[in-house]
Amino acid sequence: MVCILKVLKKTFILVIAIINSNFIIAQTCCSGGVPLSNNIGLPILEKGTIQLGLSYDYNNLNTLKEGTSTIDDTARLRITHSALLNFGYAITNRLSVETLFTWVNQRRQISQFGNVNLDQANGIGDAIILGSYQFLEKPNYSFSSSFGFKLPTGSTNEKNKQGIILNADLQPGSNALDLIFTSSYIQKISFRKSMSLNSKVTYRATGKNNNYLGSNTYKFGNEFQLLLTLSDHFSIKDQIISLASRVKYRYVVKDNLNGNLISNTGGNWVFIEPRISLYITPNIIFSTRLEVPLHSNVDGTQLTPTYRINSGIAIKFNQKGKNNLL
Amino acid sequence: MKTKILVFLTLLFIIGCDSSPEETNINSSSDNTEDNSGSNSQNGDWTISKDQVIDGGTGIDGIPSLDNPNFLNASDPEVNNYMDANDLIIGLVYEGEIKAYPHRILDWHEIVNDEINNQKIVINYCPLTGTGFGWRGNFSNLNTNFGVSGLLYNTNLILYDRETQSYWSQLKLEAINGAKIRTKPELISVVETTWGNWKNMYPQTKILSNSQAINRNYAYYPYGPYKEEHDLLFFPVTPLNQTLPLKQRVHAIIENNRAYTYKFNNFSNGNILTDSFNSKNILIVGNNNTIVSFELNSNQTSLVFTYAYNNSEIFFSDNEGNKWSVTGIAIEGPRIGERLTRTSSLMSYWFAIASFYPNPTLR
Repeated sequence: MVCILKVLKKTFILVIAIINSNFIIAQTCCSGGVPLSNNIGLPILEKGTIQLGLSYDYNNLNTLKEGTSTIDDTARLRITHSALLNFGYAITNRLSVETLFTWVNQRRQISQFGNVNLDQANGIGDAIILGSYQFLEKPNYSFSSSFGFKLPTGSTNEKNKQGIILNADLQPGSNALDLIFTSSYIQKISFRKSMSLNSKVTYRATGKNNNYLGSNTYKFGNEFQLLLTLSDHFSIKDQIISLASRVKYRYVVKDNLNGNLISNTGGNWVFIEPRISLYITPNIIFSTRLEVPLHSNVDGTQLTPTYRINSGIAIKFNQKGKNNLL
Repeated sequence: MKTKILVFLTLLFIIGCDSSPEETNINSSSDNTEDNSGSNSQNGDWTISKDQVIDGGTGIDGIPSLDNPNFLNASDPEVNNYMDANDLIIGLVYEGEIKAYPHRILDWHEIVNDEINNQKIVINYCPLTGTGFGWRGNFSNLNTNFGVSGLLYNTNLILYDRETQSYWSQLKLEAINGAKIRTKPELISVVETTWGNWKNMYPQTKILSNSQAINRNYAYYPYGPYKEEHDLLFFPVTPLNQTLPLKQRVHAIIENNRAYTYKFNNFSNGNILTDSFNSKNILIVGNNNTIVSFELNSNQTSLVFTYAYNNSEIFFSDNEGNKWSVTGIAIEGPRIGERLTRTSSLMSYWFAIASFYPNPTLR
């Protein structure tokens, strides 16, 4: 336990140090959204198991698209740095709860006409609370669903140094309560026990911010995601490593302002996401994943994701059963 | 082994976090190295309530001005590939040059930093308020280009000058923050009309090319149904005057911080109006696409004007037999070469002029 806490403490310090280093050098950055939907869905483990995850997420948007075409203009850069803290608890062998807390640094940088201008905001972001239930658990497959809320815990009135409130998409929070539903089916591959295929859908019904720029109502578009993950575990010199490859389809409806759909919002994306996980111990896992777009079709003209990197550590406490990874 | 892998992954983690696609130098004048930065103008006084200044989301120069713009001749066949006769343009006749700046290009750039006879000309257009002006680039000890600040006041463009980084409210017609605070821009008269009208008036005109150093798809209007849906506003407007449909285009004369506005339905198929305020005699000439106005001097008030546009440079005439262009120059007749004084005026969406100049006179 002491070892685990030390690792956790060091990782936390590392995450914060890295994020703060970017304040000082003020080089790149910006965002395009806090990666909430990407970072929920801890596995449902046996009763009494506690899961803790701490990760850092870097989301780089530097690709200007019109529909499916890329415009030759990289002057605009949006980056989101996020520190994400997951906590999960298995109430029973089938029922668990999960929370996700975020700390966010949003950046918008324009490099144009020989000048570089940066706007940024940071603070506690929105949080998620999710309940999950495993409906089926068979030796070769399982099925579970989750339902929860994204809570508007993040600030939405961050200002630049002149005291002008920054645009909504630079704010750490959204000031809206969202509903979240996920469903996951995991199939173990018959010819290789350590390999599995995970299919997951996530739907986020976004709420309304009724205090947008005064008394206006702003609603970010609803979001649907379909994720297919093929993963396998290997042992190299007694070290267990997991490799996974995920394909993600993401569809986002246009944003809505006072009942009017907003142009240049919403679209379809397909991403590929390779991931490597290292089992430091059976209960401590270090993972890094990279996400790059394979295809995007946006409404109008939009800055869209160029790449995303996520690294972090996940720790399980009180798990009594064995990890039958291989 | 585990320790080595952990070290490797930690390094990977750090590289990933810190990787930057490009090394950049923050503009020293921007003072942007602090958190919550983002202004390239000075702090300090504002002539307007800072609470009403909105971050439009694009950031400074996120909407790129057109510098060193490319032009085509009106007769170039390429023009027909991106311009329709009914497309609105801002027309300029200045120092012997005749140029057209189409809304469909200005929608994407908002500012064109042009130069005529070594004089900087700044055409600025706000697609959210439908307001366009010509400003000089050299005035008040400035010789500068302008850029799009990414900020809005009453949903209207705030420009910044690249020399002092001061912010300028387009419709308020003054610097609202920075070293040039309270300075007024010097206007150059422009005409808003359709490409078809302008090309008939000035066949020799040049027009902004659809191929620019910073290119966009000019066939696509970036604001969706904004122009047609009167009640759709992206940002707060105070006060919001709903006497007319919000996006109805009107001609507005700004005089002593007051607006005098004229509707198109007064000029169906061509018409002349006269008005007087502040001891000034005003002539307003228009048709279904164009409204222009002039201040008449004592030698001109006795003239009786008649609308006379016949798809040529002649826009109106008078009882002395003079023929006048849309820019107010006598091009035929005994007064040939004489100029009528252009008013400080523009075309605007109704809500915009009525928010900057509350309770405008409406004709």
